Amino acid sequence: MLLALAAVPVLIAVAIRLTDDGQGGGGGPAFLDRITQNGLFVGVTALVVAIPLFLPLTVGVVAGDSVAGEAGTGTLRYLLVSPVGRIRLLVVKFAAAAVFCLAATLTVSVAGILIGLALFPVGPVALVSGDTVSVGESLLRSLLIALYITLGLLGLAAIGLFISTLTDAPVGAMAATVVVSIVAQVVGQLSQLEWLHPWLFTYHWLDFADLLRQPIEWSSFGANAVLQLAYVAVFGALAYGRFATKDILS
Amino acid sequence: MTDPAAQAARTDPAGGADPAAAQPAPTSDSAAFAIRTTDLTKRFGRSTVVDGIDLAVPRGSVFGFLGPNGSGKTTTIRMLLGLASASAGEVRVLEREMPANLARVLPAVGALIEGPGFYPFLSGRANLHRLDSADGFASASTRQARVERALERVGLSSAAGKKVRAYSLGMKQRLGIANALLTPRELIVLDEPTNGLDPQGTREVRTLIRSLAAEGTTVFVSSHLLSEIEQMCSHVAVMRAGRLVAQGALDDLRGAGRTHLRLTVATPDAPTAVATLSRLGVPPAPLGESHPASHPADRPAVRPANDSAIGPAIDPAADAAESTALEGELPETVPAETVVAALVADGVRVRGFAVERASLEDLFVELTGEGFDVVQ
Amino acid sequence: MNRTWHRWIPAVAVPAVVVVVAVTGGVAATASADLPERSPQEVLALVGASEVEAFSGTLEQSSDLGLPDVSALSSGSGSSDDSGAAVSSALELATGSHTARIYADGPERLRVQVLDTLAERDAVRNGDDLWFYDSDEQTAVHATLPSRGDGATPGDSPPGTDGAVPTPDEMASRFLESVDPSTDVSLGSEQTVAGRDAYSLVLTPRTDDTLVGSVTIAVDAETGMPLEVQVFARGSAAAAFEVGFSELSLDTPSADLFDFAPPAGTEVTEKDLADRFDGDGDGGAGPGADASDAAGHQGSEPTVTGEGWGSIVETSLGGDLTEITSNPLFSQLATPVEGGSVLQTALVSVLLTDDGRLLAGAVPAELLQQAAAAE
Repeated sequence: MLLALAAVPVLIAVAIRLTDDGQGGGGGPAFLDRITQNGLFVGVTALVVAIPLFLPLTVGVVAGDSVAGEAGTGTLRYLLVSPVGRIRLLVVKFAAAAVFCLAATLTVSVAGILIGLALFPVGPVALVSGDTVSVGESLLRSLLIALYITLGLLGLAAIGLFISTLTDAPVGAMAATVVVSIVAQVVGQLSQLEWLHPWLFTYHWLDFADLLRQPIEWSSFGANAVLQLAYVAVFGALAYGRFATKDILS
Repeated sequence: MTDPAAQAARTDPAGGADPAAAQPAPTSDSAAFAIRTTDLTKRFGRSTVVDGIDLAVPRGSVFGFLGPNGSGKTTTIRMLLGLASASAGEVRVLEREMPANLARVLPAVGALIEGPGFYPFLSGRANLHRLDSADGFASASTRQARVERALERVGLSSAAGKKVRAYSLGMKQRLGIANALLTPRELIVLDEPTNGLDPQGTREVRTLIRSLAAEGTTVFVSSHLLSEIEQMCSHVAVMRAGRLVAQGALDDLRGAGRTHLRLTVATPDAPTAVATLSRLGVPPAPLGESHPASHPADRPAVRPANDSAIGPAIDPAADAAESTALEGELPETVPAETVVAALVADGVRVRGFAVERASLEDLFVELTGEGFDVVQ
Repeated sequence: MNRTWHRWIPAVAVPAVVVVVAVTGGVAATASADLPERSPQEVLALVGASEVEAFSGTLEQSSDLGLPDVSALSSGSGSSDDSGAAVSSALELATGSHTARIYADGPERLRVQVLDTLAERDAVRNGDDLWFYDSDEQTAVHATLPSRGDGATPGDSPPGTDGAVPTPDEMASRFLESVDPSTDVSLGSEQTVAGRDAYSLVLTPRTDDTLVGSVTIAVDAETGMPLEVQVFARGSAAAAFEVGFSELSLDTPSADLFDFAPPAGTEVTEKDLADRFDGDGDGGAGPGADASDAAGHQGSEPTVTGEGWGSIVETSLGGDLTEITSNPLFSQLATPVEGGSVLQTALVSVLLTDDGRLLAGAVPAELLQQAAAAE
């Protein structure tokens, strides 16, 4: 799965490299036309591309599989009688999902930077504010962005964990989690539901650009963290309630 | 404790044991029980899957938990291990109140529950390592040695490096048992341990269970096959449709069956024979219940002659008149030879005659019903 | 069953607490402060005496002018020609909500960043150097201000806000200019804005000829700096236009921020902005300023009729009207009326007559039509 994620920046970079006519055309995702000027942008561009679908997809698969997958292979009952406490199992599963979120974003980011280094020139990076920072600081900011996106995916991971406790069919839980993330993004596009937008866990996903401003705008980082923690608390609690009272019949 | 249980089995075969009769005195020797349930009940929606059972598994016993498919055995085991919550009633395992003391009790309990469950993409050894490391009480330093020993005990050492998805059902079953043996246990719960095993494997499992019992471990084995239980268990409980219909030491249950002397007569002159047998006071026996056509008043029951008891001895084609097998329960006061003499005197052509002590299987069938219908 | 319900208690309690905190969190932010009592005049004086020159903060602006969301449309047609771009950026400002960061170190050094999704528009003034930068288009405009010598007053409204969010300072001074017999000035309940205690000045027009119901200005109790401006349409409880600080620091921002150089690969245009300021600065005075800004500099000098809240700005666009009327945005927003087309918002009406005159004011559209017919 991480390999598939790593393929995203590679595909972007190779496609740009092959079609590069010296003048980056407009359109396409943000930063796309800057790749030819600076390979370090491949990582950011790949994240922009991966955020709406690829990252939620893989996180949905991992989180949806977490408990339902164990139930599906029949190992859940053995873990529980080992004995692993149910709360501990949930915490461990959520931690694993969180680690995956980080690994997934870092994979996209690092693969993007590496392929960018290989195919395009590299130099000091222009921020969206128009200021220019050194390569070293840009790498630091890339890491911050990866952390930001990881944080943004935690809410989805908690939702996936909760859904995963509802069923013994891992595929169903994965699909439901991915659907939830897509629905949240669609709702986020509907201006009729604008009052709802700040409450969606996808609301801050694209605000990672605030880390590319000069100076860094930390407020979205904080707001994102608070929102995601609220989601983790709510769905973590629901997952606990469901899992602690669930009869393990698989 | 065994006598009342056996009696309960006799007196109330369908309706479940009377709790008062099946229960030993709870205070005097409760410490002697590895598993003790009181009025344990599990309902799923409207259907009651386990209906007020009172299990009493003595420490050190090999306890057979017998019942047809769907009789609630696995659900009961899940409640014993805290996987499912009881709708009503109490569970004590190793003298501790159960859902509350899971973390303290379960390290001393090994279990194989409704078939093995492993990660197919890991080797057998890796699976055991993973499950063992999930157990917070198992020491990591001895893990390697314990895993190898468990694998050896179930005869999987040579195949331990293979991925589990390449295992046969029997090998997975063995691996599941190995998992139950990872650490020294006070109680081992094995749900259908011989499922999918070849006769050789079945025998090995039986030997394994005996050796565990010899070490003092209490073994709780569920099965729908009586023959297995009969060969290795010291105690038995029988489930039927969610109720506990018998419970006690195997010998006591056998003793309860001793009153059953089954009489089988094969004859073409069924009506005459029925009259004769009735005159002799051969009591009604419900053994032929599987034939719905036989009217309850037709006692002894009538059934076709191709029955294993007498079938091979007689070739029905040799005589124009077809033989019928009659079954009856013979009171010990009536000697068998008297019956034969009376039949012959009445001109009944006796082609086959057998008196058998009722086996545990008969008792089992009597208690649980016969046939493939899963009783709900 | 009992045991099951006990286990659910924490699972239900945590979401409940989170929801309660989320709902009440917004309320707590506007809890009233406990300030010494002052008269409106004193608060106005406080504003006048305000000497804050160096600060950095985050501005939140939101508009609910009753216009449809045209952000999708405008981005499609915006880049082609200049006037289209001006119109659509003005509309974009009027319909959406924006966040901007503002850094100021005296009147000579100012930076405004309009934060867009994955992009940013910057305006930087550092002494006489003026930069406009658009990260999305990767374009920059550089201008050198004509030297004003000592004539440049410190209170001069900073020029860096072209197309960006007006600061509370600007907004407040515009409204305070119109504090005359036409307006009732009172003090509303005390507020907390950007974590600072503030008085709130309420300006209520005395005439019925305007669409503006009231204007509320939050004034920092400590420094007299305007922190928030809210404009309410007549008969509406929710602000139609609102701009205010969500964060404010009175520390001097880092000097690096004003030292702007466009990144490599940026298309840089040099521009002489002297003319532009003359047209823009004066024509914009009055409540209708932001709507007329967009086209104001293109035609002849505007004339103002009426007074106070009922003022109507009139200008002749001249040239070819089809350039404007053929714009898809125009047909979507404007309503044809007798003698022209009307663009009606909650606060401002704009009338484009068929003979090429543009009338605008914070008045009902009928008054514009009367004014147009009167000539």
